[in-house]
Amino acid sequence: MTLADRAGALGLVSSSYDEVTVDVPRAQWVAAVTAARDELGLTFFDVLTAVDERQAGFDVVLRLWSPAQRDGLLLRTRCPRDDARVPSLAAVFGGAGWHERETAELFGIAFDGHPEPTRLLLSDDVAGHPLRKDFVLADRVAKPWPGVKEPGESDADVARGPVRRKNLPLGVPAPERSR
Amino acid sequence: MTPPELPPRSRGAIGLLEENCTVCMLCVRECPDWCIYIDSHKETVQPPTGRPRVRNVLDRFAIDFSLCMYCGICVEVCPFDALFWTPELAPDEPAAGDLTHERDRLRDWMWTVPPPPPLDPAAEPAKERLDAERRDRSQR
Repeated sequence: MTLADRAGALGLVSSSYDEVTVDVPRAQWVAAVTAARDELGLTFFDVLTAVDERQAGFDVVLRLWSPAQRDGLLLRTRCPRDDARVPSLAAVFGGAGWHERETAELFGIAFDGHPEPTRLLLSDDVAGHPLRKDFVLADRVAKPWPGVKEPGESDADVARGPVRRKNLPLGVPAPERSR
Repeated sequence: MTPPELPPRSRGAIGLLEENCTVCMLCVRECPDWCIYIDSHKETVQPPTGRPRVRNVLDRFAIDFSLCMYCGICVEVCPFDALFWTPELAPDEPAAGDLTHERDRLRDWMWTVPPPPPLDPAAEPAKERLDAERRDRSQR
């Protein structure tokens, strides 16, 4: 019986490019990870991070590995944008504490029950959460996008005409906001 | 010091083969670091027969290696094979601004681009070669 078959007890199992992912409801997050460690032999904590899925909320993703079976899988849980909090795994895997602190500051997700919910990498004067997709990078406001030019255009042509909306890259504020 | 043994397709600097560039702006727009700069203008050329054609002429092509993160997306995205990796490293400069290589320096990198490594013994032949062989057979 493979790891993927046995993981069915934890949540919804899917597979993509040979990577098995188990989706777990937020309320069962700690219980599922504990069961993965104790019952599936996934004793090695690899990484915990998050994905900004925009309107759908945030996915917190955890990768565990079984040294004995030489196999691993991803566990994933989702929280809504306006209630971005997930139970902490620091009591299950001690090493998860640092990953959760990093995820908390970069995505603005609170980890309930974390023993030390302070910043890990960012200094206190950094406002906002840099890995959220709506976070505006200061450099992108200050510097004009080189790709705004059409083939056959120079800087002078762009300065003359209005900025075409279709030619703005993702993650950049509209011109009226950046001034 | 002996130079290190670099594997083929090492990512040192990026060379520009200007003849292949059509100023489509794809590399500039795909670059996640915004470190490629292109200026161009349109020129009307009159072929010997037929109506006049407008074509884009490259005025400036520059890569700022102080911003480049060597991801290679520009090399991948170029539809006309105008950009190439060279294993040679863009040298240190006293000022960050000097790491912006204009088209003449980007062209010099081209002469250091190695030929593509030979295919693995069991690999399928290149698509261009298969196409050419099929053309030959159909003309026979």
